[in-house]
Amino acid sequence: MKKDIVFRDQVLAPIWDKIQRGTRLSLEDGVAMFRSNDLISIGKMAHAVQQEKSGDAVYYVLNQKIEPTNICVLECKFCDFAVKPGSPEGYEMTIKQILDKLTPNIHEVHITGGLHPEWDWKYYLDMVRDIKSHFPQTDVKAFTAVEIDFFHKKFKLSVEEILLQLKDAGLRTMPGGGAEVFSARIRKELFHQKIGEEVWLDIHKKAHLLGIPTNATLLYGHIETYEERVVHMMKLRELQDETNGFLTFIPLAFQPGDTGIKAKNNFTSAIEDLKTIAISRLMLDNFPHIKAYWVMLTEEVASIALHFGADDMDGTVGGEKIAHDAGAVSPMAMAKEQIIKIITDAGKIPVERDVFYNALHVSGEGIIGKIPYLNSVPFYTDFEKKQFTLLPIAPRRMGELARKDILDAGLFSLMDYFAQESDLDVLPYCIATRDQVKSVMLFSKEGWRDLDGKRIGITDDTATSIRLLQVLLEKKYGVRAHLERMQTGINDCSRFDAVLFIGDEALKRNKFGLDGFELVFDLAREWYDWQKLPFVFAVWAVRSACSDALKSALLDSISRSLARNENRLDSIGTIHGARIQLTPAETTEYLQGFNYRLGDRERAAMKLFKILVAEVIVAS
Amino acid sequence: MDMTDIFAKIRNNQRITPDEGLYLYRNAELLDLADLANEIRFKKNPDPCVTFLIDSNPNYTNVCSIDCIFCAFFRHPGDAGAYTHTVDEMIENFKASAAKGVTTILLQGGVNPELPFEYYLEMVERTRKEVPEIYPHFFSTSEILGMAAVSRLSVPDVLKKLWDAGLRSIPGGGAEILAEGVRRKISSKKGGPEEWLSVMREAQKLGYKTTATMMYGHLETDEDIVTHLESVRALQDEYNGFTAFIPWSFKPGNTPLEKIIPHYATPMRYLQMLAFSRIYLDNIQHIQASWFSEGKKTGQVALHFGADDFGGTLLEENVHAAANFVNKTNNEECIQLIHESGFDAAQRDTLYGIKKIIPRTIAA
Repeated sequence: MKKDIVFRDQVLAPIWDKIQRGTRLSLEDGVAMFRSNDLISIGKMAHAVQQEKSGDAVYYVLNQKIEPTNICVLECKFCDFAVKPGSPEGYEMTIKQILDKLTPNIHEVHITGGLHPEWDWKYYLDMVRDIKSHFPQTDVKAFTAVEIDFFHKKFKLSVEEILLQLKDAGLRTMPGGGAEVFSARIRKELFHQKIGEEVWLDIHKKAHLLGIPTNATLLYGHIETYEERVVHMMKLRELQDETNGFLTFIPLAFQPGDTGIKAKNNFTSAIEDLKTIAISRLMLDNFPHIKAYWVMLTEEVASIALHFGADDMDGTVGGEKIAHDAGAVSPMAMAKEQIIKIITDAGKIPVERDVFYNALHVSGEGIIGKIPYLNSVPFYTDFEKKQFTLLPIAPRRMGELARKDILDAGLFSLMDYFAQESDLDVLPYCIATRDQVKSVMLFSKEGWRDLDGKRIGITDDTATSIRLLQVLLEKKYGVRAHLERMQTGINDCSRFDAVLFIGDEALKRNKFGLDGFELVFDLAREWYDWQKLPFVFAVWAVRSACSDALKSALLDSISRSLARNENRLDSIGTIHGARIQLTPAETTEYLQGFNYRLGDRERAAMKLFKILVAEVIVAS
Repeated sequence: MDMTDIFAKIRNNQRITPDEGLYLYRNAELLDLADLANEIRFKKNPDPCVTFLIDSNPNYTNVCSIDCIFCAFFRHPGDAGAYTHTVDEMIENFKASAAKGVTTILLQGGVNPELPFEYYLEMVERTRKEVPEIYPHFFSTSEILGMAAVSRLSVPDVLKKLWDAGLRSIPGGGAEILAEGVRRKISSKKGGPEEWLSVMREAQKLGYKTTATMMYGHLETDEDIVTHLESVRALQDEYNGFTAFIPWSFKPGNTPLEKIIPHYATPMRYLQMLAFSRIYLDNIQHIQASWFSEGKKTGQVALHFGADDFGGTLLEENVHAAANFVNKTNNEECIQLIHESGFDAAQRDTLYGIKKIIPRTIAA
């Protein structure tokens, strides 16, 4: 984030300094932004932060919303949907009705509904299970914390037990509704029967720890103050620090309807909507995504929000039903087409996703995978925006997306490159070490030779570093260990004898150490001491099928970026470095440890590594 | 070409070339454009104040012989639904509007070859005399050309007679896109860009104040947009007769062009266009945001993208309505929308004189 912003409102300048230094924003910062009238500067800050996180990608999902019943035992003031048990307007859907409503091409079904006084527990489990078995490619995102708490009380099972049984039935993620505003004052006034912040946060925490990621919402634009909005965000940020289980934050604009709440205005203003999106992007520094939920924001504001920090458009929700009632032949395609148009018009790449935000389909040409690690920063500064779109992507997903023809080029983890070598042209650029690298680190309780038969925790980040670890263990030290995946985001290192971290995570842990793991090994250094060759972690490659024009433009962009950045490694990465708590000097030293050009020694190292990996694979 | 140089040039109050404009339009980040546009907006109009107008857009006829493929309003003579109002009927309409506080009537109609020139002169004269609280902002360039045709007078003579009847201000509609190719495609009978520009030039030479518009989002290219703005900027250098520039997006509903362009351009494109216009048109003081043509929420955001005017409250409007695009407001809501956007609201007259300021109360 090297962006210079000329602030109209000087109150914002120190906030931007903090963001650039990697300092967390405070309650006062959040409130100051809400009070400021400098909408464009707030937007610019949020957009810069969003660009770092997800680049030009804007996510959407083909989804449908199911509300199995509107009968609800609660009476929340802001709700127009629910009716009391016994009401003539009440409806109840059978599982068959639900299945009939679903279409096979969707990837997410979103289920929330009223708290029905009579349905039994089995009905809910069957609902999830039957959807999953009839529509195997559709993931179930179901039940807000309010419903989970209701199940827990009604069926006399612990929250964990409820969540586990739902997970076994096929539940993948949970929606973020029911959070409203974390404020005792507002709860008392508007939804005193509903669970408050403690229960909401506790249920989400439990879900995260059981491996069920969730979303979080904020209902704004009624009686809440700016301070209450920011406090709400900070409480979410705190839980996210602990579990890393939130996928996206969704600010929901209050819809006055017939709800009987006297809001200050009828509808939220566009300025309020955009500020809330932008400020949530800035406050929630640990949330991967911010959603512009067009159903509530209106399409026009959702579209503008893509420049104010949002990177998720939700999906075709309801589009199916509305279009179907209007007699459309291909309702899903219509709605999808419109979402894609909104995204491309904003100059962004529409990325169709699944429930976990994995890319399923990307519309566009000249899509370049961008590795979000500090060591890759020098490659990307001078890409011609009109020609290419950069899609930030975890290294481990790069190979998969290239296989699906989604990516035209990228910096491929070496193992991914090997797997698709025949379809790719390698470019003379890479990420190779000079001797050590500090970003592929093994934290160990034992020396190398004592790791024989021991358990090593690995992340699912990239195959290359895992293979390098295996090669070192088996070929250099003649030992064999059990490699096991750790659950992402959850700190369960202690049950392993050693753990492998790569990228920014490794850099951070290397600086601060990892409790209980006395020994720290730099795998690149280990390789260098052994083979006297650099180690190549990733190479630039482009799909052979791409046009020559694209290939040469790509070479131009990379070489332009590198030429400019190799001479200023002391400044280029400092902001990124700050966010992973490195000083400018540490960042510079780290970046200077890499060689970005693929020369003879690098090619020789690649060849040798390929042979060694093959031997290790044969041996296992 | 380098973005930093172009930005620096603009910040130093230097004029950018069409090529630089095109580069800026194509490559600048949306919010960078907004920032620059905002800066210029405050240089030209330093008060944190957004103006609006209490107005009405009635139409005296929908009979038109020009056949623009982007229009859902017109009827051919004798078609079902074709109408032409008498001057008496229009005067009644204006009086009713005036009673509701309207200060400006933007009057336009189809180009109806049946109407004699006297009809138009009478309309102006009687408005001035019988409804003095209304300022007439009458007749687009196409209608003025139509008057010249039926009266066999030159355009300057037509304009002179209208002036003598009391007209001082002319709306900027009908410019569409001032680029030869695209204008011929969407409204072949309207003539090339020079038709619009020459009527405006003659009017401004006589002392008329006018606005300038642009309708984008159909068949135009990026180059056409720049050509349009360049033409407006060049004419403004001659007489300084444009009070404001007003871009809006093509609304496809019920028009022949709908088959090719089914959706209207997104709010994003509108904001980009607005900011870019503000930057390129360095010699025009006011840029109008249109809550009406783009939606209220987009209109609010537009006030942060270089616009300093919120347009009129439009008691009556029929042309967009014919394309199924309907937005309505009233005075209080209009003021509220401006206040929510962070500005004081100021009621203005047709020529941008301030009538009264309604300050924003700052929320706690």
